[in-house]
Amino acid sequence: MVAGRPKLIPANTYGFETLAQIYNEARTDYIVPMPMNARRMEEYVRFYDVVLSASFISLNDADEESGIAMLGWRGQRAWITRLGVIPERRGSKVGQTLTEALLDSGRGRGATLCQLEVIEGNEPAHRLFVKLGFEETRRLLVMRRPPSARGATGILNVGIEIEALDASAIAAQLQRRTDAPSWLDETVSLLNAGSLQGFRIDHQDGRFAWIVYRLVSTPVTPQLVRQKLSHFVLDSSDPDMTYDLLRALHQRHPQVDTEVENMPADSSHWASFQRVGYVQSFRRIEMLMHL
Amino acid sequence: MSIIVVIEDDPNSARLASRLLERAGHQVVTAMDGETGLNAVSEHSPDLVLVDLGLPDFDGQTVIGLLHEQPTPRPMSILAFTAWPEETAQVMAEAYGCDGLISKPINTRTFADQVAVYLPKDDTTSMGSGSSQISL
Repeated sequence: MVAGRPKLIPANTYGFETLAQIYNEARTDYIVPMPMNARRMEEYVRFYDVVLSASFISLNDADEESGIAMLGWRGQRAWITRLGVIPERRGSKVGQTLTEALLDSGRGRGATLCQLEVIEGNEPAHRLFVKLGFEETRRLLVMRRPPSARGATGILNVGIEIEALDASAIAAQLQRRTDAPSWLDETVSLLNAGSLQGFRIDHQDGRFAWIVYRLVSTPVTPQLVRQKLSHFVLDSSDPDMTYDLLRALHQRHPQVDTEVENMPADSSHWASFQRVGYVQSFRRIEMLMHL
Repeated sequence: MSIIVVIEDDPNSARLASRLLERAGHQVVTAMDGETGLNAVSEHSPDLVLVDLGLPDFDGQTVIGLLHEQPTPRPMSILAFTAWPEETAQVMAEAYGCDGLISKPINTRTFADQVAVYLPKDDTTSMGSGSSQISL
């Protein structure tokens, strides 16, 4: 029997626990599976302005959940994310049906642009997006720095002044940013996520650089606290200033696990990140389509 | 007999790993997420921990970082256990100070021997090798 067109149910019909479960099942054979629990799914929806009423779960002929796709929404821009089809329920254009439904959903809300990221090497998804009209814009790096990483020690250059940024200074710096962030690191994402800190360094020769980042501390066991640095926004005029900025950051927060997502792969900052112990986790391809 | 904690969210993979290691004579504790796994390590003081790099609460790298901070009464090996592309997994396992890496899917014939390489010598009854095992 030929499978029929998948039925689509708005994702807000489901709780976060079930959404996470469907997403995890859809990603079991993904290149880099990144499973989530209900708490992480809820955070993801909140941080990245995912509209669950405009996102979908697909059902197969037996009314079993077969896939998931979510739509983020900012201004007149839509963002496709968390797309996945459960491996044993693939093969009846579930991924395409879900993606087209998100695009229709975006158009219906007045979106003029839709963007997404696909992990490098995920050829079926990349082919689907090209077929639907998406074009590549750039490659993005996802990086990690383990708590034990070296490279951030040593005295900073003589004459460097470090000034912590308070909440209003952080907000002011974010308003002045000149980079072209991916959806995950847009200012709205950072403000939604909260727990932001930042500082500025000034060199005696007049050069300066600043960084805003997210630092969270979560007790895991009575003995262990998980600390994580993420969501970097940095403004630096040259690689040496970036190096000093990152050294200062990791001297302020030594032995803290760090994840930086979606830095442009051609960024001049990458070498400075490597000098202080960052390694590439994987790469994404950013794509967009005018609607 | 060694004590091994398997931190793995895929129930099929966890069950298979557990069965193969128990058949090789080890005591196995499984945990489906990072927090449960860290508590299991604290409670059982294992000789070895297998950590899936993709976990639903904290990712595997975070768990490995926390395992290094956790006081243990005796040396404990940490192995990354993952279906990630081997090159990526190897870079990540090395950066996070893992003793080794075992790629998924599990090779049922060699898995217990692959793990045994990283156990205290008294417990190593056979030394095998498999294409998906990398010492770091």
